[in-house]
Amino acid sequence: MPKLPDSSKTFNCREMLQKILDGDATPEQQQQFKVHMEECMPCYKGYELEMAIKALLQKKCNGHGAPPDLIEKIKNKISHITPH
Amino acid sequence: MIKSLPAGSDFLFIICLKKLLLLKPMEEPLSQQYSETEKHRIFHTEFMPHINSMHNFAYRLTLDADDASDLVQDTYLKAYRFIDSFQQGTNAKAWLFRILKNSFINDYRKKSKEPSKVDYQEVETYYNSDDVNRQITPDLRVEALQDMIGDEISNALNSLDVDFRTVIILCDLEGFKYDEMAKILDIPIGTVRSRLHRARNLLKEKLTDYARKMGYKNT
Ligand SMILES: [Zn+2]
Repeated sequence: MPKLPDSSKTFNCREMLQKILDGDATPEQQQQFKVHMEECMPCYKGYELEMAIKALLQKKCNGHGAPPDLIEKIKNKISHITPH
Repeated sequence: MIKSLPAGSDFLFIICLKKLLLLKPMEEPLSQQYSETEKHRIFHTEFMPHINSMHNFAYRLTLDADDASDLVQDTYLKAYRFIDSFQQGTNAKAWLFRILKNSFINDYRKKSKEPSKVDYQEVETYYNSDDVNRQITPDLRVEALQDMIGDEISNALNSLDVDFRTVIILCDLEGFKYDEMAKILDIPIGTVRSRLHRARNLLKEKLTDYARKMGYKNT
């Protein structure tokens, strides 16, 4: 595992990639990873692939919003629970 | 509601109801008493804006549009009924997602024949093993993904066990953080992390199968 020049901690590629993907990395860690990716091919490829999957998920698996009649139905039921 | 009872017994009554419905509030806060006007305001301005995300989540859990709508309606009615245990300023979306997830487990999972037992012991072992770092990265290329313009990703996601599907949705579609997912799912943060890791790998395996069928050769 390569060491980061400005850090005494060993840089665990897979762990850091997962932190980034899971949205758990700090801005500082994101920056570190960006620098690291430039010299680590597995990280670069892994990141590209995972981000492409994430983008595809967001594009293709987000389309089941609430039908308008359901929204009306819920609003109606709520307004009848307690008389205004 | 039971307006005539003294405040103390009202509170106890709500606690009992919550236990019955497995609806523990996220932070075990003291219930407050909102006025009717406040209840309606919170419901419409803090709860309703999440209805599309909620419906999408419900659909991905039940895999049926009608069941999804029923689940969302049940969830919103419960949310209104227990609105006193919602603390303003806390994450309404996570609170709603948690109620929806609990309703799904209590009311819908029983109905479906879907086996939903994941061997979490195996998951933890897997995650803690040395395999993590020399993981077999599936031979999946970005170009293959770009050619998946149909339902491939959706089918791949739906084919995952519901527990794996759920963490992908919560993280990648809804952007919840580890601590929020842990609260929504009632599991430790370490389990969220390992489940997500395993889920991503399973999804990649599925996508790799599709890529092969589409004629993409390895590497
Ligand atoms: Zn690396």
